[in-house]
Amino acid sequence: MSDVTLRDVRKSFGAVEIIKGVDLDIKSGEFVVFVGPSGCGKSTLLRMIAGLETITAGDIEIGGERMNEVEPAQRGIAMVFQSYALYPHMTVRENMGFALRFAGLPKEEIRKQVDEAARILELEPLMDRKPKALSGGQRQRVAIGRAIVRHPKVFLFDEPLSNLDAELRVHMRIEIAKLHRDLGATIVYVTHDQVEAMTLADKIVVLRSGIVEQVGAPLELYDNPANLFVAGFIGSPKMNFLKGEVTGGSAGRAEIRLPDFGGAVVPVALTGAAPAVGTPVTLGIRPSHFSESGDAALPVTVDMLEHLGSETLIYSRSAASDLLTIATQSRPDVRIGDTLTARFPSSAALIFGADGNRIY
Amino acid sequence: MTTHGLKKRLASAAVYLFLAVMAFLSVFPFLWMVIGATNSTSDIIKGKMSFGEGLLVNAATFFSQVNAPLIFWNSAKITIIATVSTLLISSLAGYGFEIFSSRFREKLYSLMLLTLMIPFAALMIPLFMLMGKFGLINTHIAVVLPTVASAFIVFYFRQSTKAFPHELRDAARVDGLKEWQIFFLIYMPVMRSTYAAAFIIVFMTAWNNYLWPLIVLQSNDTKTITLVISSLGSAYYPDYGAVMIGTVLATIPTLFVFFAMQRQFVEGMLGSVK
Repeated sequence: MSDVTLRDVRKSFGAVEIIKGVDLDIKSGEFVVFVGPSGCGKSTLLRMIAGLETITAGDIEIGGERMNEVEPAQRGIAMVFQSYALYPHMTVRENMGFALRFAGLPKEEIRKQVDEAARILELEPLMDRKPKALSGGQRQRVAIGRAIVRHPKVFLFDEPLSNLDAELRVHMRIEIAKLHRDLGATIVYVTHDQVEAMTLADKIVVLRSGIVEQVGAPLELYDNPANLFVAGFIGSPKMNFLKGEVTGGSAGRAEIRLPDFGGAVVPVALTGAAPAVGTPVTLGIRPSHFSESGDAALPVTVDMLEHLGSETLIYSRSAASDLLTIATQSRPDVRIGDTLTARFPSSAALIFGADGNRIY
Repeated sequence: MTTHGLKKRLASAAVYLFLAVMAFLSVFPFLWMVIGATNSTSDIIKGKMSFGEGLLVNAATFFSQVNAPLIFWNSAKITIIATVSTLLISSLAGYGFEIFSSRFREKLYSLMLLTLMIPFAALMIPLFMLMGKFGLINTHIAVVLPTVASAFIVFYFRQSTKAFPHELRDAARVDGLKEWQIFFLIYMPVMRSTYAAAFIIVFMTAWNNYLWPLIVLQSNDTKTITLVISSLGSAYYPDYGAVMIGTVLATIPTLFVFFAMQRQFVEGMLGSVK
């Protein structure tokens, strides 16, 4: 049985439809990440699961029960907000025990549960402080502690790490992953950061303009994106998209000409029939797939270099000014303005049709 | 010293001079009031600006002419009830206007703000007739009632509520609080500096209220300190020393409230315009 089920869930604000029919099954204990650009509806969808936004159409079930009209507190969820949303006039202990106090639990039970959560999150020395006396990371831990004490069926995280600096974000990301492992809880997590999505998720839901573009495991989305949007959104640096045209081929093979790269022809192996000659396509190649042993070659001029230590990013341009990003683990002896031949294995290339959907 | 340095110093001196003059103009009436409380009527009329020896005589005159405990009690009662009810009702309205959306919200709000344009003089007669119909003339309820839904305080609370983090309300809903509980247990404590600033404004307005109580309070046992001081000053042979004693005593509660809440007042005023 799924812990959370969404059936044709829709949300409109006046005449504007924000969520356009989402179907999703989230299994018990799964870590699901909603990812997408700003305004794609991921936070709205999470708030709809929480009961903080009404549902215009469709059904939301949690633990097998229909929750459309159920109050947030009765849904068996706990939510961690982007701004932590700690009550500023209460101490850490009061913040963490507040929901339990409202649920009518005896004082001793509240103390026991709060102490247990504080131990898990190493918050014991901070229990009598108010939120303003805590750092960003500590506040976030308190917010997570407040969620833990409720023993919810589902944890909802709304961009919880966005307000933290880069170092703390990495640290908290590991903490959340550990927490998921230790508690075995179902987590629905919203982020616009695809690195967070890739590292935390069992399953990623990519959203765009209120529509689910693709659902899958992180590496499945990385290796087999369903369309240009997912291919461009998942992976950093972003996938290169090269405009091309099918110039020939046979069963199991197609030849794609790239006019912006001096008419270079890339032979691509296919599992099915080749598209008709003249079909406009987009060839997708990840920056990390470039290697000197590749069978396809593209002439480019180096525009900019980024030495990151573990890898080097070469931002280059074709003769027609098309940008091509190359990531290499080695430290190549190239300078800005140099011309070079970027090679990649044609087997690593993905092909997208004119409608943006993946052909191969 | 360079020309630039000299110019900077002169500009700074001019600013300080201006501020000193303004500060003196603000403090002068208080100083004059305190000095007046120690002088006789004739000295006050002559414009004597030094402390005299008439404090005890003036105080004795004041307390012999006025039932001080009763009128201070009347003022305090009206002020406390008016302040508490105005803060409660107007903040609820301001919160509601900001948090809950409806088709009519902005129209209703604009209509409410329009009432700020109507001078009180134009409302006095209809209000008086209304209070008369309810049989409330010469009661303290009649003084309090017209003040409890203050358009200005509603406006002030709505503006301040814009700074209230909406995620706190969401968190409280997830924690199981009803709307009224969110208001009393989360909103009110979080917005305490806004309440402190509004408290000072409403308290001073209620304590110093003169015109409306003058109209609706007709018997001596219901009158407030402002009415009594005014009647002392408008006597055939007014004793200005006693008037000044009354004024000094009437100023003490507002000064006390202001200094007690000064820090929150400044925070509240800043918070409302940020």
